[in-house]
Amino acid sequence: MKYICLIFIFFQTELIAQISPGPRSLSMGSAGVALKEIWSLQHNSAGIAEIRRPIFAVGYERHFSDQDLSTQKAVFAIPYKQHVFGLSIHRYGINEYSDQTAGIAYSRNFSGALALSIMLNYHQLSIHKYGESSALSMNVGMQYRINDKFLIGTHISNPSNSKFQDLLGSTIPLSLSFGVAFEFSDKVLIISDIHKVLNATIDTKLGLEYRLIKWFALRGGMSANPFKQYAGFGLQYHRFALDVASSSHPNLGYSPNLAFSYEF
Amino acid sequence: MNFNCKYLGFILFLLSINPQITYAQDDDTDIIEKILDILSSELGEDQDYSDIAERLTYYRKHPIDLNNATKDQLKELIFLSPIQINEILNHSLEHGPFLDVFELQSIRSLDIESINLLIKFVKVTLPPPFKDMKFKKLVQKADHDLMIRMGKILERQAGFSKLANAKEANYQGSAWRILTRYRYSFSNTLAASLNMEKDAGEQFFDSTKNKGFDFYSGNISFRGSGIVKKLLIGDYALQFGQGLVMWSGLGFGKGAGISTIAKQDFGLKPYSSVNESMFLRGASGTFKFRKLSFTPFFSKKNLDASLTDQGKEVSTINISGLHRTKSEIVNKSQLLSTIYGAHIQFNSKSLNIGFTSFQTQFSLPFSIGKSLYEQYDFRGNLLMNLGFNYDYNYRNTYFFGEVAHSKNGGSAFINGIMSSLSPRVSLVLMHRRYAKNYHSFFNQSVSEASNAVNESGFYSALSLKLDSKWDLFTYSDFFRFPWLKFRVNAPSAGYEIFTQINYRMNKKLNLSSRFKQQVREENSEANSGLETVDKQNYRIEIIYSINDRFSFRNRAEMVRYQKGNSKFELGFLNYQDIIYKPMSSRLSGNIRFGIFDTESFNSRIYAYENDVLYSYSVPAYQGKGVRFYVNARYTLIRGFDLWLRYSLTSYYDQKIVGSGDDEINGNKRSDVRMQIRYQF
Repeated sequence: MKYICLIFIFFQTELIAQISPGPRSLSMGSAGVALKEIWSLQHNSAGIAEIRRPIFAVGYERHFSDQDLSTQKAVFAIPYKQHVFGLSIHRYGINEYSDQTAGIAYSRNFSGALALSIMLNYHQLSIHKYGESSALSMNVGMQYRINDKFLIGTHISNPSNSKFQDLLGSTIPLSLSFGVAFEFSDKVLIISDIHKVLNATIDTKLGLEYRLIKWFALRGGMSANPFKQYAGFGLQYHRFALDVASSSHPNLGYSPNLAFSYEF
Repeated sequence: MNFNCKYLGFILFLLSINPQITYAQDDDTDIIEKILDILSSELGEDQDYSDIAERLTYYRKHPIDLNNATKDQLKELIFLSPIQINEILNHSLEHGPFLDVFELQSIRSLDIESINLLIKFVKVTLPPPFKDMKFKKLVQKADHDLMIRMGKILERQAGFSKLANAKEANYQGSAWRILTRYRYSFSNTLAASLNMEKDAGEQFFDSTKNKGFDFYSGNISFRGSGIVKKLLIGDYALQFGQGLVMWSGLGFGKGAGISTIAKQDFGLKPYSSVNESMFLRGASGTFKFRKLSFTPFFSKKNLDASLTDQGKEVSTINISGLHRTKSEIVNKSQLLSTIYGAHIQFNSKSLNIGFTSFQTQFSLPFSIGKSLYEQYDFRGNLLMNLGFNYDYNYRNTYFFGEVAHSKNGGSAFINGIMSSLSPRVSLVLMHRRYAKNYHSFFNQSVSEASNAVNESGFYSALSLKLDSKWDLFTYSDFFRFPWLKFRVNAPSAGYEIFTQINYRMNKKLNLSSRFKQQVREENSEANSGLETVDKQNYRIEIIYSINDRFSFRNRAEMVRYQKGNSKFELGFLNYQDIIYKPMSSRLSGNIRFGIFDTESFNSRIYAYENDVLYSYSVPAYQGKGVRFYVNARYTLIRGFDLWLRYSLTSYYDQKIVGSGDDEINGNKRSDVRMQIRYQF
């Protein structure tokens, strides 16, 4: 039974492995193509283009409350004039199965409204008794600010359809996502994504952030396919920020997610 | 009785101050339809909306004075959320009395749509209303409203024909449906109502046993402003808290707006619907002392029930109210139910707390069903219900909930938060948990099944006003059934997603599109396990007016139904409505022409149909064919109106229509309906 469950979990997460939302995005239905934050590096790297100071963040996610199955990740972004460079590390799996990704991103803001980004990822997959394999993939992202309230974004992941050569059947998903972010007031932010993975179904996501007070925000969201509900909160103290999120799958249960960031 | 034609509709008569004649203003029908559309994301054909229609019609004719409005009155408009009601009431406290209804625009939580609806039911008068009640005045200022409706299916149905070797036809009465309805009211203080009804196939003065109509319902009620707030003798409805223990009459759940998910209770109210089951018969009253109000109630009523073979136990209660065939007549009034109890409520400006307790006694015990899924059902003949409900308003957030317990059974909980995060964003979160052995005969809490039992779930909804033209409403609901259900032989789970986008281009053109997906589990036909059932609805609607007389409405709807891995089934419905409502003419009416094509019963589509006043139908469109109706109203003299409606469904490639006693030879079913109303 446990193995059946694990297969299901791998199946679930393999499809989203390329996009790994940070806790802020995760608590908002894992939407966030049009979000601007440090974890955009692993979601749509165009989202880091407006960073003005170097930021470092680490995160941890436990999948479906399973003791062993987890994701560890770290991101770092540094601006230089109009350019922002990012570095991302991501490890997912258990001892017998692990998927590691390291990436570098370059993002740039044009005329204040348009942000473009390109990112290169190096993937390493190892499965116990089956062997190891590595691959290179590329992501491109875009964000466009329509007005001061409304932002749209697009992200294409692995358009060249790179694959792991040695481990057949293990793919790097090719996906296209489109998202919007709408700021209703200085307290309320609504985001929504449509995410299509090649050879898999299409998912729609919706999220809400409510900034109750300046340093505390509540978040919630849902995704339609697979149906999941999400909730979380964020705390900010000077240059430190702590974000906590959890997703809830009808059959597999909760996946808590936590991250900590520091702005230099 | 026939639930197909339930009574809803609406009219505006001229404003009583204005002596100039403006005849039939059928746009009220549209208001009601709009409201119902918001309240219920899926209108069912087996519900009676006449009660709401009547209440709204009343306030249309007697608008609520915003400067003297009470919370209860605003609750009765049902399309307002508790936050909106609180802000309206607070407005005159904080800023002084309203000078004009358009001052409503300054209320933060009221959006344009709600204001447009609300101004049709409210007014502003500055001097305090005249409260003196004398007998002479009572007769002078009284309103009388008498209505008679008759209808019939024109084709002969099998139940009305004698079979070759039978002595008589199955249906004991004629094919006519007859409803007589009388209302008396005196300036919202004293009211009386009487309903008399006979459904198709029921006897009417035509047997030794039957003395007239099949169903009678009536009451006399008083509303006061002192200690005695309400007094009522006859048929009544009670609505407390979130509907976990006591909510008789219609209760909406997940709708296309956020106003209905947090129920707003009215307490005691007169019963005016022709639904023959969910009400109480006896006496009740509400007494108010400072911040406490007390509502004792007593009811003694006969219920229709089928008994076990020995006749000593109840196997099921029949709620259809139909007494057409011999067996239906035998089951009539087999069971006597006695209900007594009380509700105490504490009301302050922002906090309300209520406690309900009552006992239900049946003359015969309930038998235990044989199936495993019925194992936790109610048994015996005595049931005690306890409930505690609360709601609390803090700034822009409204907390609500109820905890209930049935003695010797389980408990049920419902708790929620509604918050208007910004003037344009509202959020609702609600959690529910109903035990598999929680028993209540009057519960209407938010649930997937018809009763709040054996379910837990989490509902979240978001309402966004993107700008003055666009708005979006969406909800998701995840639910789990910890015990088996009918046709579900294992614990199961499912979810529901709903999204609606409205676009108001201008006053003349409205566009809306809607998506709804329901996923749940059901017994598999292939093996012993469960299979996922996925049903998706897609709808687009355009409403536009051509000139001040004609407006058009088009709807296209599609249903996709899929069970397990079997092939999906599709259903389509397209229709065109033409609505004729001139500003000042004695004649008004509407016409529909629709085409439907559904592959199966599972992919059937429900749609609202215009009907005669107070009548309301939401039939299922199923099979392949054409639907047509014409509905007209003619005002003979002021206060005297006539309605006529003819409808026809013509099926393609079908030799019989319907089944069992309702079967018709041929491919058509047509229905005619006449109604007169006299107000004096």
